[in-house]
Amino acid sequence: MDQLLQHLVNAVVLGGTYALLGIGLTLIFGIMRVVNFTHGELYAFGAYAVYWFVATSGVNFFLAIPLAIAAGLLLGAAVEYLLLRPMRGADIDTTMLVMIGAWIVMQNSEMIVWGGVAKSITTPFPESPLVVGPVSVSWLRLFALGFALLLIAGTYVLINRTKLGKAMRATFQDSDTAALMGVNIRAIHTATFAIGSGLAAAAGALLGPVFLVEPTMGDLASLKAFAIVILGGLGNVTGATIGGFALALVEEMGAGYVSSGYRDAMGFAIIIVVLLIKPTGLFARAERVG
Amino acid sequence: MRRALSYAWLLALFTVPIWLQDQYLLHVAIVTGIFIIAAMSLNLLLGYTGQLSLGHVGFFGIGAYASALAAVGFDVDVFGHTFVHDPWPVPAAFAIGTAVAGLCGYLIGKLSFRVRGAYFVIVTVSFAEVVRIVAVNWVDLTQGPLAVTNIPPFAFALPAIGRYTLYSKVSNYYLVLLVATAAYVTIKRLVGSRIGRAMIALRENEQLAVSVGIDVTRYLVLAAVVSAAMAGAAGSLYAHYIRIVDPDIFVFLYTVTMVIMVITGGKGTLAGPIVGGLIFGFVPVVGRSFASPEVQWILYGGLMILVVFLLPQGITPAVRRLAAARIAPRPNGNLDVLPDASQAGGR
Amino acid sequence: MTRRTSGVAGLAVALLIGALAARPEAQQTIKVGVIQPLTGAFAASGTYVSNGARIAADEINAAGGVLGRKIELVVEDNKSNPTEAASVAEKLIVRDKVPVLMGAWGSSLTLAVMPKLMEYQVPMLVETSSSDKITTIGNPFVFRISPPSSVEATGFARMIDQLKIGKADFLVVNNDWGLGTADQFTRMFKAHNIKVGLVENMAQNAQDMSAQLAKIKASDADTLIVTTAVEQLTLVFKQAAALGLKRRIITTGGSQVPDQLIEQAGGAANGTSHIAFFAPWNPDLSADPARARAFIAEWKKRGYAFAGLTESFRGYDGIRTIAAAITKAGKPDAAAIRTAFWTVELTGLGGKIKFNKVGPAGMESGQSICDIFLVRIENGKVVVPKA
Repeated sequence: MDQLLQHLVNAVVLGGTYALLGIGLTLIFGIMRVVNFTHGELYAFGAYAVYWFVATSGVNFFLAIPLAIAAGLLLGAAVEYLLLRPMRGADIDTTMLVMIGAWIVMQNSEMIVWGGVAKSITTPFPESPLVVGPVSVSWLRLFALGFALLLIAGTYVLINRTKLGKAMRATFQDSDTAALMGVNIRAIHTATFAIGSGLAAAAGALLGPVFLVEPTMGDLASLKAFAIVILGGLGNVTGATIGGFALALVEEMGAGYVSSGYRDAMGFAIIIVVLLIKPTGLFARAERVG
Repeated sequence: MRRALSYAWLLALFTVPIWLQDQYLLHVAIVTGIFIIAAMSLNLLLGYTGQLSLGHVGFFGIGAYASALAAVGFDVDVFGHTFVHDPWPVPAAFAIGTAVAGLCGYLIGKLSFRVRGAYFVIVTVSFAEVVRIVAVNWVDLTQGPLAVTNIPPFAFALPAIGRYTLYSKVSNYYLVLLVATAAYVTIKRLVGSRIGRAMIALRENEQLAVSVGIDVTRYLVLAAVVSAAMAGAAGSLYAHYIRIVDPDIFVFLYTVTMVIMVITGGKGTLAGPIVGGLIFGFVPVVGRSFASPEVQWILYGGLMILVVFLLPQGITPAVRRLAAARIAPRPNGNLDVLPDASQAGGR
Repeated sequence: MTRRTSGVAGLAVALLIGALAARPEAQQTIKVGVIQPLTGAFAASGTYVSNGARIAADEINAAGGVLGRKIELVVEDNKSNPTEAASVAEKLIVRDKVPVLMGAWGSSLTLAVMPKLMEYQVPMLVETSSSDKITTIGNPFVFRISPPSSVEATGFARMIDQLKIGKADFLVVNNDWGLGTADQFTRMFKAHNIKVGLVENMAQNAQDMSAQLAKIKASDADTLIVTTAVEQLTLVFKQAAALGLKRRIITTGGSQVPDQLIEQAGGAANGTSHIAFFAPWNPDLSADPARARAFIAEWKKRGYAFAGLTESFRGYDGIRTIAAAITKAGKPDAAAIRTAFWTVELTGLGGKIKFNKVGPAGMESGQSICDIFLVRIENGKVVVPKA
């Protein structure tokens, strides 16, 4: 029973950051219909940004995180502007190939800049965990969860309560009509990609200090993000949030009770199973933004 | 005329080991040849049927493991029941590798073609990842990270000549050349046949093809099986030449390599994967002295982006157009549209 | 293809291959191949070993080189992957034509290279790997200066009385190194009537071991033996602390880089013990204290992290041993160097180096004995036993 509680707590903590990853991708995938292979690289970028701010520039840890997110936003906007905007109108395969090219360039640049040795980020939190009964959680992870929940709430507000969010939802539903109604589709696309990338960077910024920062960390994150998007339904922020927590739960329980080695396979197995049963995703009828 | 040209090429390739004395370059040629076979198989799915399968390394790796394990032997415990396999001769293992990969292609084809577009891409990527994780963890069968080592090289037992084992690089080169030629001919025949035309029709306009009565799933599955089997054959060659197989054979990077070869070479053309393969097989070797692998990969990534932007059909059709423009333009009405149906626009 | 395009393509390819084939060969230096993980899960350790090797090479060259020629290290990255290790070994032997190799750090990596040694008849000095298989499988081209897990276990057996271990769990990396260690230590424990509990393993690039640690937390053992490289150890310690795991932790293998653990795991590393093979905190403990001091000074001078000294000495000793063998051989020839290895005797930083025959008769490998220490981390500092 103790172990079960501990696993549950671990899952919740991890789920918050997974949700961020998933929300970011579901927005991009849903609104822009781009198979975004650079999502994982933005995740890694967020982690490296925090490392750079904290370790090399001596910036306060709590300030480094929002800075890293901002950097992720900018990088996302740049990628969209340079690579995707000229490709508007091309089919999904072509844009996907461009994204793969971008992924290669980004990951190898990271290798050159930072080297292949993994980096550790020192945090101001104490090592001894918060102990509540049989369960212990590290303060760092609690902070990560809290911040993630904040961001998720913020995104929800953005999508449902702001003009920008309205425009994004309109573009998702029917971009031609939205354009006729005066929505600047190009700007929306840039904003969407930036926001999505910013969320990925946030996930990396929060998880980087928990584990280690190394150049290939984004690969698995990319694939898990896709799993979450499929679980939750394209463009569905609520679905992605639930999907993020669900994936973390399946991983933790699977690792704890079935086999720790197959932990990462859980996500992919889910993708395959879900798509075979319901090719449009689990929450398909709720396929909308918001 | 075209046929004579193909034979000329074949003859040229045949003479390579005679004048290429550098053993290391021969080694590079062999590995490049293996990847070209894999790239050709990917081209069948990617270029001709238009299905963006990014899990292709899964078939390659499955072929490699199946062949290696069949040749080395193994014993596993499945739910308490021990299953022992004694080593088999390598040509039999090769057949096993090809068959198992083909079977996986059948399953993936049947199951995945219900999903389309981006979802299909994700399913294929997930498939390769799951297979990799299984290879890492099912140590009983695959040795996991300890790798399957001491894989025997190809050996043929011919009644009159006796036993001949392919230890030398030269012999392996000819083996790869043989399989590559067989693969090329298979694809050429397939693409030029009715089945091929159906596949291309699917790629160009699926709904129209369906309305005309083409059985979409059947042809896609067929393409998947042939494609997977060919990739598996390449994997088997790889296993018996490199003689060690570990789960990192499934990394996404190899799929990306094959994709780059096909896209830049020219998808949907017969020569495309060969051109792409030669470029990306040999350039890293030349580049090794000038730039680190990371820098090279950045250049490849950039190159791929450029190709997609500027030459969406790839290098081969662009070069061909250039050459055609120099020769007097033919009046329209030539039926030279298939099998290299790259002129069709819309992509 | 049209004639023209084929012609152009063919010419291009031929020129390319011709250009590659017509490279001039350098005759002046003696090349030594070095295979190490410079990227991937073991990158930190591989980089330390390579840098240690470079210090040795520079030192030897400054003193006049070997046989009147300079040594040139050709360092290749095996990416912490066995297939890549075999591939770069082939490249070093076939293309660079090195007469001797050093490598490949990890046991699975070294085992992958060994068939190539047999195929091309080139000797290799094994500087770090610990799997017993390496010297018992019957490969006469292998000469190892690092201790196999069985010897590590025997060395550790001398210390278990004072540690009072009743029951031990294992958490090891799932390759030849980790699994071999668990195997050998289990045998040793059983021979000393110590119970063995869980044997958990982790993939070499796994970052989340909380599932395994949660299981271990629930067990009744008093000691946890961990075998993996420093990056993963950092994560294990942090996660163990986060779970509130209060148990004696002992790590093996010599690749723990204790100072890096202190730096990155912080308080989570306090109270842990580590089996090490070189103690840079106290150079007098080394078999050659004067040389140890000089090496440490040079390492610092080059601006490398002090933490890396616990591993870099292996690269240093390895290259010095190879140089000694080449000198004895009288020529940079693979077969002569192999024969020369059997007669080499020198004092390395890690102990006296002299190869004994181990393994099946007729196909023996060379194994040298080295020193073993048990160091503790207390209050953010490394505590070493007095000599």
